[in-house]
Amino acid sequence: MLFKKLLTIAVAAITLTFVSSCSRTVTRVDPTEQIDISGNWNNTDSRQVAEEMTTTILNAHWLTDHLSEKAGKKPVVIVGFVQNKSHEHIEAETFVKDVERAFVQTEKVRLVQGGKKREELRGEKADQQTNSSISTMKKFGLENGADYILQGSINSIVDALNKKKVVYYQVNLELTNIETNEVVWVGEKKIAKYIKN
Amino acid sequence: MKHLFYIAILLILPAMANCQQIAFAVDQNPHYKESQDKYLKIADSLTKSHSTTIQQTYKAYDWYEAKLERKRQDREWLHQERMNRKYITNYYPDYNPYNNYYSNPWRREYHRFWW
Repeated sequence: MLFKKLLTIAVAAITLTFVSSCSRTVTRVDPTEQIDISGNWNNTDSRQVAEEMTTTILNAHWLTDHLSEKAGKKPVVIVGFVQNKSHEHIEAETFVKDVERAFVQTEKVRLVQGGKKREELRGEKADQQTNSSISTMKKFGLENGADYILQGSINSIVDALNKKKVVYYQVNLELTNIETNEVVWVGEKKIAKYIKN
Repeated sequence: MKHLFYIAILLILPAMANCQQIAFAVDQNPHYKESQDKYLKIADSLTKSHSTTIQQTYKAYDWYEAKLERKRQDREWLHQERMNRKYITNYYPDYNPYNNYYSNPWRREYHRFWW
């Protein structure tokens, strides 16, 4: 009798372990919640960079200087490339888009499209030259020329020994006057992580 | 009189055509034609991806998934090895003249004088 009971409990325990090890649970979490799993670059790092960059770029002197120089005319910015020189795959678009969004939402800075999206726009405009009605056709040569270009770089330093590791990230964004090549703003965010296995 | 009229037309028409060519919109770039001609040639290739999602994904490293993949790969290799075992032949036979059944000193019957 006792043996039978023990056997039942053992079978139940094994089944439970097997089922729990095979099942996968997914829970929605707040994107602002800090969850560090592997120690690699994650959404918290991206958010911290975005917060730092958006607050500093919109409150820096370059903006007031431009407005006073150009009689209140808002600056036009184009986003250039961000160079990832770190040891990890880091998608800079996640925080650059936040900066772009801040430009558009605050209406302090005008943003123009660049890169492949601009090519697509010009392709559409060219298509309209032969297919759209005259009243709706958009003309070439009327784009807004950018005053400044936003470029950036991501660097990292890794120091590891045995099961300990320190990873340091430095993200820089630079705003340069296209006409004069003068760098008018440099944003910086440093992140250091201590990982112990 | 008729000749004069034709001459006048010949002079005016190219002038009108020239005027049409340089009728820019306000603030329009005077070199816009260069860009327009360039993009007219490639407009089809640039607009064919409209309303589509360009998949530019990358494979993120997942420790658990990588472990499962390694296990799966190991199982497959083992299976392949088992399947191919019957086809495996010894391409390099042993040329040692002493390595045969009767010259092997470890053979149980080697040191026996008679049987």
